[in-house]
Amino acid sequence: MEKQKKWFANSYLLLVFAILYAPIIFLAIYSFNSGGSMVGFEEFTFEWYQELFTDTRLFIILLNTLVVALLSATIATIVGIAGALAIHTIENTKYKSMLLTLNNILIVSPDVIIGASFLILFTVMGISLGFFSVLLSHIAFSIPIVVIMILPKLKEMSPSLIDAAQDLGASRWQVISRVILPYITSGIFAGFFTALTFSLDDFAVTFFVTGNGFNTLAVEVYSLARQGISLKINALSTIIFMITLILVLGYYFLSTRKKPVMIGGDE
Amino acid sequence: MSNTIIRFENVTKVFDDHIVLDNVSFEIERGKFYTLLGPSGCGKTTILRLIAGFVEPTQGNIYIDENCVNKIPANLRPVNTVFQDYALFPHLNVFENVAFGLRIKKVSAHEVKERVANALKFVNLEGFENREITEMSGGQRQRVAIARAIVNQPQLVLLDEPLSALDLKLRTEMQYELRELQQRLGITFVFVTHDQEEALAMSDEIFVLNKGTIQQSGTPTDIYDEPINRFVADFIGESNIVEGTMLADNLVSFANRTFDCVDMGFNQNEPVEVIIRPEDLEMTSAETGKIPVKVDSQLFRGVHYEICCYDDFKNEWLVHSTKKVEVGSTIGLDFDPEAIHIMRLGETEAEFDKRLEAYED
Ligand SMILES: Nc1ncnc2c1ncn2[C@@H]1O[C@H](COP(=O)(O)OP(=O)(O)OP(=O)(O)O)[C@@H](O)[C@H]1O
Ligand SMILES: [Mg+2]
Repeated sequence: MEKQKKWFANSYLLLVFAILYAPIIFLAIYSFNSGGSMVGFEEFTFEWYQELFTDTRLFIILLNTLVVALLSATIATIVGIAGALAIHTIENTKYKSMLLTLNNILIVSPDVIIGASFLILFTVMGISLGFFSVLLSHIAFSIPIVVIMILPKLKEMSPSLIDAAQDLGASRWQVISRVILPYITSGIFAGFFTALTFSLDDFAVTFFVTGNGFNTLAVEVYSLARQGISLKINALSTIIFMITLILVLGYYFLSTRKKPVMIGGDE
Repeated sequence: MSNTIIRFENVTKVFDDHIVLDNVSFEIERGKFYTLLGPSGCGKTTILRLIAGFVEPTQGNIYIDENCVNKIPANLRPVNTVFQDYALFPHLNVFENVAFGLRIKKVSAHEVKERVANALKFVNLEGFENREITEMSGGQRQRVAIARAIVNQPQLVLLDEPLSALDLKLRTEMQYELRELQQRLGITFVFVTHDQEEALAMSDEIFVLNKGTIQQSGTPTDIYDEPINRFVADFIGESNIVEGTMLADNLVSFANRTFDCVDMGFNQNEPVEVIIRPEDLEMTSAETGKIPVKVDSQLFRGVHYEICCYDDFKNEWLVHSTKKVEVGSTIGLDFDPEAIHIMRLGETEAEFDKRLEAYED
């Protein structure tokens, strides 16, 4: 009985994942199709990948995307750490929960609205649309994510650790650099990688605020797809998927290698 | 160098309209073992945090070495703390935890190694340098916390209930170790506990606190033998407290009888409270005893029996004895005049000390 239940649960899970991953796998398989369309697999070929790699325009877009993602994730992580520390040290609970709610609203509000409001903001402020506006908006939507990833780690930390560091002579900055940051490292990594993936696959916000010929992959794939079916898109999507997969696996490896520990009088 | 290391001068601490410490003044001398003893919430931790510099007094002044430190932050005070939850840094191993304070002070690597090794030797943790904190037992963690404090060679170590998380056997062991450690180092310890036996066993001086005020301070024997009021008497060990009347110097009446005692300096016929410790009561026959009582119940406590009796006036008498009695039987209680301790109602510590002095010489 018990065994049967487990078998059912497992196969159900497998089915769900198969359905979820089927389009991507389907797409990836056809990126090797010499037929030139998604109907009928003819012969195995690297043609589309070759075409992709000789396309310098696409290569520049890929570079743009990576630069925006790395830069925005890094800056958002730094700002997010400061923000999380600031929110954590607020003693007034009402004010604190208000700030937290504002933070969470930014996370759940639709990309389209965020994109549109950034567009309005940039136009009003006279900031020209392009690399800078995309970078700014990516930083902005990543910060709340970093904050939300770091706050639980801060909450988990016993306040007496900070007292202990001060007691041993640590200045305010030393308390942060020698005790708090090492303690919340896993949260920082989680925040950074989440911000990175959010930036890499963002379409809606970028679509609104980009301009002057500056493009990221997501927007480019969209315009390629609108021009008509080309298996180049499949090849490109497969590469993006692989990169994301590697990032996720890398994060998984980093976060499980060193388990966070709790310290107390007794376990 | 003055012998006083810490002085509180009319210190009051208020947290959100709640008076936690009420006009507290005391002095702490160099090289002694002090204990702050009191029930939960009486302000013990608050006193430690005021000394360490984590909180500022609402009113009054705190002096370390006769310098007012009200505005000096915790990281600049010559004081180290052993926290109740040890507060060891989970990302550092034992060696680095102990070395933390030295690294902040930029002590040379060679000296760090030597001093940490010494501190760990002091607390019997040689060879544990490379252990992670999670690999240490409760008692070992506590010793790491102590090593981390003493390695900085502070003049004063504050310990906030460091033994409360340990089991009874380990706790007793650590009491000896701590006391011995303090004497070897010759520095001042301020120890917080709500366990009166722990306080009596370890301290040179005890401060008994209740509701944000110091009820009584003195050596363990002073406080045990001459508690100033009902609260202290009750808190420091078990005691029999009955109402009485002071007939004259050295003569007190309670339980409808008159007894010799050694207390004086009271008004004639002043109502007082009379204390006799359970272990000072001897059981004899009803005829020869000073007070006849009826045995109500008897409890085996390991070292002794705890026998609960009532006299004819419904006063409860607890007796500690190695002998057994029969429940329901009538026995007599015998005691020396020295076993009786008389407390004046509502007497402050200053008045109490004055009265003791007056009749001692
Ligand atoms: N930061 C704070 N904010 C508000 N109230 C506080 C704060 N710290 C302590 N208190 C209050 O001060 C009182 C005394 O606290 P304290 O921690 O000094 O007690 P304690 O004697 O150490 O008790 P325990 O034996 O339970 O540790 C308590 O009523 C507590 O609620
Ligand atoms: Mg406390």
